[in-house]
Formats: sequence, C-alpha cells, structure tokens
Amino acid sequence: MASASSLKAISSLCLSNPFKSSPSPSQTQRLLGLNFSHSHSFPTLKSTPTHQSFSNSKNFPTAAFFGQNQKTAERSTQPTKVQELNVYEINERDRGSPAYLRLSKKEVNSLGDLVPFSNKIYSGDLEKRLGITSGLCVLIQNVPEKKGDRYEAIYSFYFGEYGHISVQGAYLTCEDTYLAVTGGSGIFEGVYGQVKLQQIVFPFKLFYTFYLKGIADLPAELTGKPVAPSPSVEPSPAAKATEAHATVKNFTN
Amino acid sequence: MACSSSPRPTKVQEFHVYEINERDRSSPAYLSLSQKPAHSLGDLVPFTNKIYTGDLQKRLGITAGLCILIESKPEKKGDRYEAMYSFYFGDYGHISVQGPYLTYEDTSLAVTGGSGIFEGVYGHVKLHQIVFPFKILYTFHLKGIEDLPQELTAVKLVEPSPSVEPSPAAKACEPQATVSNFTN
Repeated sequence: MASASSLKAISSLCLSNPFKSSPSPSQTQRLLGLNFSHSHSFPTLKSTPTHQSFSNSKNFPTAAFFGQNQKTAERSTQPTKVQELNVYEINERDRGSPAYLRLSKKEVNSLGDLVPFSNKIYSGDLEKRLGITSGLCVLIQNVPEKKGDRYEAIYSFYFGEYGHISVQGAYLTCEDTYLAVTGGSGIFEGVYGQVKLQQIVFPFKLFYTFYLKGIADLPAELTGKPVAPSPSVEPSPAAKATEAHATVKNFTN
Repeated sequence: MACSSSPRPTKVQEFHVYEINERDRSSPAYLSLSQKPAHSLGDLVPFTNKIYTGDLQKRLGITAGLCILIESKPEKKGDRYEAMYSFYFGDYGHISVQGPYLTYEDTSLAVTGGSGIFEGVYGHVKLHQIVFPFKILYTFHLKGIEDLPQELTAVKLVEPSPSVEPSPAAKACEPQATVSNFTN
C-alpha cells in the first residue's frame, strides 16, 4: 500500500475523471491494484471537502414529513430522539470492488456508467469489524469545474446479527454529502434519518455519521468513542483479522 | 430544536404476498457485466415477476427492480445480492424495498416507502424463498399507514410449499380474481 504521505497528498486532491484515459476493464483492475500517480481509479468515494454543503443537517423537515400522516392514529407523543452512530468503511481491496461498468461507452465518466461495490465496515472506534456495505453507484454527471463526479448511490450497511441500514442519496467525489436513511432491519427496523458521508482517502476510506431516529437505544458495542478521521486510520489488527472478540456477532462478510 | 415532530404511528400491520415467476416476463435478465465466468461483483439482474395474495386467489400486480450481485458464496452454494425493488398493487399503490437477497436463506428487507394507500409506510418485509428462483413468500410488517383493506389482509395464508400455485382464475386474471387495475 502507498505510504501515508502519498495518501495524504491524494486525500487533499479532489479527484475526478477516474477513467478519462483508461476505460477498459483490464486497465480498471490494474488501477485498482493501486497506482496513485494516476489515481482516481475508482469511484465510490469521496474526497476531502473543505465546505459542507448541508449546514442545516439537523433541521430535518419532520413537520412537513409527518403532516401527511396526521390522519392515522398516533400511538406515542414522545419526541423523536436522534442517535448518532459512527462507522468506518474501508476498501481493503479483497472483495473485487468496485466494479466500474463503463456502459456509457464513453471515455469520460458519463451517464450510463454503473458502479456496483462492496467494502468492509468497522465501528467508529475501529475496534470491531461490523460487516460490509453493498450496493450501487449510478454515475450521473462528470463535473469538470469541480474536478469530480456526481453519483446517485443506493446501498446498505450490514451489521451482522444486528441487522442492516439502507441508504440512498448523492455521492459527490469532491464533497461531503448527506444521504437519506431509507430503512433497516433487525435493531434498525423502522429507522429513518440521514447519514453524513465524509471521504478520508479516495476511494478507500470513508467515515460515516448516522443520525438515526425511530429506533430503540443502540447497543454500547456500536457507540464507542470514534477515532477522529485521518488518512492513516486503520482498523485494529484484531478487528482486521476478525478475531472473535473484535467483531459483532455473525459479522456480515 | 423544538420537539415539534409528531412521532410516526407505530401500529404494525402484517400481510402476505406470493411472488411467482411464471417465465412469461423475460425475467430475470442476468447481465454478466463483471465479464467473469462465475457470479462476480459487477453482475446485475433486473427482474419483474407477478404477485398474488397470500391465499393465492387474487392477482395483485408485479414486482420490478434490480438485484446487484455482491458475491458468490460457494460454501453456501449460493449468492449474496443487494436488492432494490418495488411491489405494485394496482390502484392500491406500491411499496418499495431495499436490502439483502441471499439465494440460500431467508432475509429481511427494509420497507423504504410507498404510494397510494401505502404512502408514508415504513417497516420491514421477510423474504422466504420456496423454490429458487421461482416462488417466494413475503410477510410485510408495515407501520405508518391506515388499516389495510380486507382484500389484502383477510386471507387465509396458503402455507408455502414447492407446489403452491395461484388459483386458475387469478392466473387468468379474471376480474373477480384481481385487485382493481392490477399492475401488469
């Protein structure tokens, strides 16, 4: 893997047009093997944003959202409590991911390109392996003036026996974004809210902050003090090796 | 921030849906985009099948959506997919779901939303595979909506088995054996 200093350099760039000059699948594989001098081999992840596009993230329009449900019987008058959950998504390059499908058949990233992907996820304190992400990024447009791309992303986070959380929203390679939490299963059944996506190292390390509503208190195992995001963060060796004490139960793989 | 948001209604309503691939909708369309011989990340599977009530007496409509192959699990003799699709119930509206589809075991998907009588819906749905990949039984656990019509809920579930079939009338879409303007 590239040294930390080159990773830092990469993370400070806003990368774009990953495949401008290397459209073929075989070249994609080579790039994934890691050639940082050409970088951006692949989508899915974000770059360090200097400015958040959503300043009012917490002022979720819940009143408007619930207006339409007033006709149904309400069973509770408790306020909707927000719970934060931090997750690290790390591409360890051992899942064949991502798979950049250049279906637009153009040299520049264009509408028509699809990017299925699946990476590993760890708790915010990087002590436990939780499971995986899996889903799809749909390339929407290349944004040359921002040296980046816009994707529409639809994917899920799997937390072993705890269940899963599904999300949908914008993934911009040059900015942090907020995605909608569309639902979940297991302990996340009925969940709603949003999740902030921060890219740490394009495209290998991402840090998520979920703002979850509608569910019971999260287990302590998931809510440890997060390690502050930086390009050099790594899961603990035990978590990476999926030793029994360093994973959630039946972590998804 | 003031606690101005009304909490969502939490009464759970259950109902069953059978999804049956009658092999007359050109589905599924397995796109081997990974360009590898075995199922690999990159393969996409758009699909659409017919859906019936839990007693298999009425045709409801269709499913429509996409399965994304995530990885093949040789030790389980199956595959993991990420699935995102909708169930269409004719004039009643639709329900959208997202989550895991494992060809070798039951899963639980998130109900992400809906339209018509399902507008505002949330919850989850259990997917039980009966005959891979032709027959699936779903049990929806829905919240946030008005009481569902009897046509969908007051049915005696036909227990899942490989030989379950829709009633001939439902299969033939005779008017008394479909919901209003069933989706096709």
